[in-house]
Amino acid sequence: MNYEKKYVWSILFRLCHWAFALAIVVLVVTGFYINDPWTNTWLENSRTFPVADMRYYHFLAGFVFTAAVLVRLILYLIGNRQERIFNALPVTPGNVRNFFSTFAYYGYATDSHEERLGHNTLAGLTYLFTYAVAAAQLVSGFYMLYPESVTWQSWGLPLFGTQQQARFIHHLLMWYFLIFAFVHLYLLVWNDVRSPEGMISSIFNGYKFKPKHDGSAKA
Amino acid sequence: MPITINEFIDDPKCNRRSFLKACTITAAALGLSDAMIPRLVEAAANPQRPPVVWLHFQECTGCTESLVRGSHPDIARLILDIISLDYHETLMAAAGHQAEKQLHETMEKYQGKYLCVVEGGIPTKDNGIYCKIAGRTAMDILAEVSSKSAAVIAIGNCATYGGIQAADPNPTGAVGVWDLVHDVPVINVAGCPPNPISFLGTVLHYLTFKRLPPTDQLGRPLFAYGRKIHDQCERRAHFDEGRFAERFGDTGHLAGYCLYKVGCKGPETYANCPAVRFNDVGVWPVGVGHGCIGCTEPGFWDTMTPFYERLPNVPIPGGGGIVASAESTGKKILAVAGAAVGIHAAVGIGKRIVKGKSEK
Ligand code: HEM
Ligand code: HEM
Ligand code: SF4
Repeated sequence: MNYEKKYVWSILFRLCHWAFALAIVVLVVTGFYINDPWTNTWLENSRTFPVADMRYYHFLAGFVFTAAVLVRLILYLIGNRQERIFNALPVTPGNVRNFFSTFAYYGYATDSHEERLGHNTLAGLTYLFTYAVAAAQLVSGFYMLYPESVTWQSWGLPLFGTQQQARFIHHLLMWYFLIFAFVHLYLLVWNDVRSPEGMISSIFNGYKFKPKHDGSAKA
Repeated sequence: MPITINEFIDDPKCNRRSFLKACTITAAALGLSDAMIPRLVEAAANPQRPPVVWLHFQECTGCTESLVRGSHPDIARLILDIISLDYHETLMAAAGHQAEKQLHETMEKYQGKYLCVVEGGIPTKDNGIYCKIAGRTAMDILAEVSSKSAAVIAIGNCATYGGIQAADPNPTGAVGVWDLVHDVPVINVAGCPPNPISFLGTVLHYLTFKRLPPTDQLGRPLFAYGRKIHDQCERRAHFDEGRFAERFGDTGHLAGYCLYKVGCKGPETYANCPAVRFNDVGVWPVGVGHGCIGCTEPGFWDTMTPFYERLPNVPIPGGGGIVASAESTGKKILAVAGAAVGIHAAVGIGKRIVKGKSEK
């Protein structure tokens, strides 16, 4: 079978993915540290500030994370066809069909699958949900970061409750990202093994390999 | 004969001095400039000032105790002076019918002018029968007394947010005042107990400026609850530099290091304890080596417990159960995801072995 190289992910989309992914790695590590600082200085005048530093990196990564989420939001509206929100929502008959056939494909019920340029609908919906969780994570984060701000309080209190409850929810949501990342990586490898489209490298170089359509193929 | 405490505080010179001193302390807590102190003094000394009716519901009287038992007479004295308590079940001399009569007289005579202070939660389940005074439910009394008052000051975590009786499973359906009273302004002087200065500041602010001080979204006056404990704590340098007590009584604890790892809730609690302190001798919980338990926050018995852990064991909404800790739940889900992935991969490999590689 002949394959052709197709441009799928714009540079902004790829930058956004890596900013998001790397920020999450930093946020999870520093977040665990904030929950239970595993160092204990017990030595005065050592001129180190481990907790202040870890919190600083957490907040820095938090801003990168927020920027990535905002950029993705814009891409959902004005990105290329694969990046738009309608590609993820099961609103067209094609997307609904794809949603169910992806289950069949992932469940080993069938070996054939639709060749789509963008995400399959199941993945698209999962990512959409992930950004919703990300929004909750960053609102609770800013609520804790600016405890004296009336603006953040008017968001944080109705959404999460007191600071302590926000912190608890913030902590629980962290586990969502850990579990997402784990399943995400597994399914990427699985897809890469099952199909020659080059899914993993697409997030680096933007290209996927798709079967050439005989009819439309030019000599 | 030795001089008694009463003779001491009845001495007019001493009285005036301690009166001024207490007003000054309160002005400082309110964040007012010293130019305002004379106005505060004038308002507090004004014989025309509104009377105060003090209602007790589901409570332990700890708030009253902490107000009137200052080791120093200044604050307690000022409180008893300025709030000319016309009705206070713990402090007044009257009892029974006499007390009831006094309450109703005050309500008639000062309608729309008196301050209503509430101490204690209000049970609402089964029409509020779990707390009755003189044969009437707390809900009834509160509705009547508050509707004729100028403003309500809820004192303590019980009157503000329901307190310990509102803790899960809240058998009596206890709530705070602001859940029930909507027709007059309500201010929440939260805490278990609140600092007497925070209460006094609220009252003096009202007497001086004829309105309640500005509050946060939980109805707490900003001058006392505008900032987190953690952001004013004297152990904060130890926190930033990573010096912690790992458990009570260890080297870090003896050295006075940060109590974060033994469950201090200062990072999630708004109050002025580190700045104003208690009992006129400059103490507060963290200062004497015990973590903050977050007693000024709504629902703290549910959300801040266990007190010696960082995160709560709160019921998961809709789940019905209690998470032993966020940590173990997360790990379990991750383990299940791991198992699922393992099985998924194994099925794929197994199928390939059975059926052979599919032709493409
Ligand atoms: C995927 C994203 C994130 C993860 C996994 C994460 C994780 C965590 C964790 C585990 C904690 C410790 C809570 C505890 O158990 O005590 C924490 C605290 C915190 N996070 Fe995040 N976080 C994320 C995003 C953010 C964002 C976007 C912000 C906003 C800038 C933020 C701000 C904070 C703040 C202010 C705290 C409290 C720190 C303190 O008071 O010392 N986080 N985070
Ligand atoms: C080595 C690490 C990673 C690689 C190689 C990788 C690769 C990819 C690829 C190839 C896609 C597109 C998949 C598709 O077409 O359906 C993707 C999407 C995505 N990845 Fe990753 N990823 C990695 C780590 C992460 C991490 C750690 C996170 C966050 C926890 C993450 C979050 C996402 C999200 C949210 C999307 C959806 C993109 C969108 O539509 O906005 N990735 N990733
Ligand atoms: S003792 Fe508590 S309030 Fe003080 S710095 Fe440590 S965690 Fe914060």
